[in-house]
Amino acid sequence: MSEVNNKPKTNTAKVDTRKEEISKFSLIFNKLGIYVVVVLLIIIGMIVSKGSFFTASNIQSILEAVALIGMVASGLTFVTYSGNWVDMAIPLTMAAGGMLTVQTINLGFIPALLIGIATGALIGLTSGFMIGKFRANAIIWTWGFNLLLSGVIRFVWGGKQLYADQVANDSEYAQHAANTFFSISRTYIGKYISLMAIVMILMMVAAWFIHTKTKFGQELKIVGTNYEVAKYSGINCTKVMIIVYVINGITASTAGIFFSALRKTSSYENGTGYDFSCLTAVLLGGCLMDGGKGSVVGTFGGVIAYGILNNILSWIGLGTYEKYLVQGVVFLFIVWLNTYSNRKLGKA
Amino acid sequence: MKDKKFKLSANLINEYRSFIFLALILIIGLFVERFYSAYNISAATGNGTLVIWLGLGFTVCMIAGHMDLTIMYMSTLGALLTLGLHAQQGLPWGVAILIATLVGVLVGLINGLLVTQLKLPAFIATLGMQFVLKGTMYIYTGGEELSIGRDYDFSDFLNSNPIPFIPFSAYFLIATVAIIIVMIIFNYTRFGRNIYMIGGNLETAWLAGIKSNFVTVMAFVISAASCALGGALNGIYSGTAGITMGEKGISPLMIAFTATIIGGTATTGGKGSVVYTWVSLIAIALLKSIFKKTEMQVLVIAAILIICIVYETLAMYNRNKTVGTRPNLHNEYLKEHGKN
Repeated sequence: MSEVNNKPKTNTAKVDTRKEEISKFSLIFNKLGIYVVVVLLIIIGMIVSKGSFFTASNIQSILEAVALIGMVASGLTFVTYSGNWVDMAIPLTMAAGGMLTVQTINLGFIPALLIGIATGALIGLTSGFMIGKFRANAIIWTWGFNLLLSGVIRFVWGGKQLYADQVANDSEYAQHAANTFFSISRTYIGKYISLMAIVMILMMVAAWFIHTKTKFGQELKIVGTNYEVAKYSGINCTKVMIIVYVINGITASTAGIFFSALRKTSSYENGTGYDFSCLTAVLLGGCLMDGGKGSVVGTFGGVIAYGILNNILSWIGLGTYEKYLVQGVVFLFIVWLNTYSNRKLGKA
Repeated sequence: MKDKKFKLSANLINEYRSFIFLALILIIGLFVERFYSAYNISAATGNGTLVIWLGLGFTVCMIAGHMDLTIMYMSTLGALLTLGLHAQQGLPWGVAILIATLVGVLVGLINGLLVTQLKLPAFIATLGMQFVLKGTMYIYTGGEELSIGRDYDFSDFLNSNPIPFIPFSAYFLIATVAIIIVMIIFNYTRFGRNIYMIGGNLETAWLAGIKSNFVTVMAFVISAASCALGGALNGIYSGTAGITMGEKGISPLMIAFTATIIGGTATTGGKGSVVYTWVSLIAIALLKSIFKKTEMQVLVIAAILIICIVYETLAMYNRNKTVGTRPNLHNEYLKEHGKN
């Protein structure tokens, strides 16, 4: 009798341990694997750069290159987390934010900034409404919307580039605003840490707070994991989706404003390529593409890893165009690792 | 009687809207100077032929339920390879085009294996492959533009109108023949029906005994090979090929995507035809000769695309409302409240 009684206990224990054994690698990779990658990349970087990796100028250039991607990725995390893969309208959201800020620079710097961010929020609102309310295919809708925005911006401004100092009128107030606009991407706090990097980290912290500490974050978790279940358990999915895309629009347009300040011009092609690089960073950070898995902390690691990787490629001596090849291969590898580890976890 | 009428008009919008679009463009063309001249039509369709190849590839993949974003860079790579092999290695045009097409087959095979064996979503996998191809092209050419040199014979043939009194260039006619061949394969062979089945429901198709992995890979191979062939011919047709071939103005990838949506191909797969895509691509090519300014072209094409997407989305939204309810009871309810 005692044997019979003991058997079920050992059985259940066995099943549990086996599950853990199978998923150990996947669990570690999914949780904090990216920071292991970051450390590895730093070691490789130190070897490749022959010791000059930790010089202040190199760290400064990494942070600057990473800042814009980090800003966009902090918002894109929500989109990927909600199960909609990627927002293809990011390039034109960035461009629109920059264009409208420059165009309204005569109102003063702060109002122009707010108008630029509001544009991004409005674009996000439209996407969120179509995807949340009418269940449009997220990829197809945002891709088409990207083309529409491109058409509108090219048509309204005739495909021209805008310069803030030319748009500003002769009054001292407007000229001051234009100068402030140019300076935001070139301000350094302390000696080497740029304002952009600090804004990026602040946005990451805000995104982390929204994602983990608020009611919306908890609802998003259920919506991302299973939309139908969320719907039938009484969550307002439309509202959640709209908030997701508004957050994404706000972060993308903020990054667009900084980008146009950095380039000193503002045109419709300002954000080209950012959808791809930011998705790489988000997936590097361990976000699951089907939604419901990932964290802002991981995304931050992904962004840093992406920046260091690009830096290493430059140290090796690859040009912009050879980098495309490496980036593509890395992207495919990351996506494969992502889907593979999640399949082993039994979640996809 | 009323039902029949309703069905007719619904079909008109759902399936034949590409023809409506073409008719609209032709009517607007009446008011445009020199729109109906033989030269204009020949040049407009000839310049739009590259996108016909891309649209062919994109539609085939979309019917199979996937999206192939590599098509644009695949065609550019095809053009660069053909011109490079002809100019540097001195190969005749036929061999150079054949090699370019084989490279297309290889890329399609890689795409297909990424999707079927590594189980990546097609959209993401081809997004990555896009950059791999872009990098490869830069390494091959060093960023320079290639030209056809002094060998104009084949180029002249592609530019000429081989059939008298019909204002279409040979290049356009070759693309049309390819479209017809693909249409015949899709409508009248077992392989074609299999593609529709895996697009409609992959699991059902697999349970029914279709080699779904093989068919998916073949869809990607057809797509990439046709794009490489089209790109190769386009390089010869226009005389030059550069890496940024597609990036000026409006991206050919977006045009192929737009035409596929306008042509009525379901974004989830399993429905559509290359012929509808072909018709809407001709309409877009003619539209470009009506609106000369690039900005205006982008705006008009984007507006049409968005209208189509919104229409499809709303139709799907209304259809999903009645899923799970009993249709007869639903109709009764609607009749009682006078919402019919």
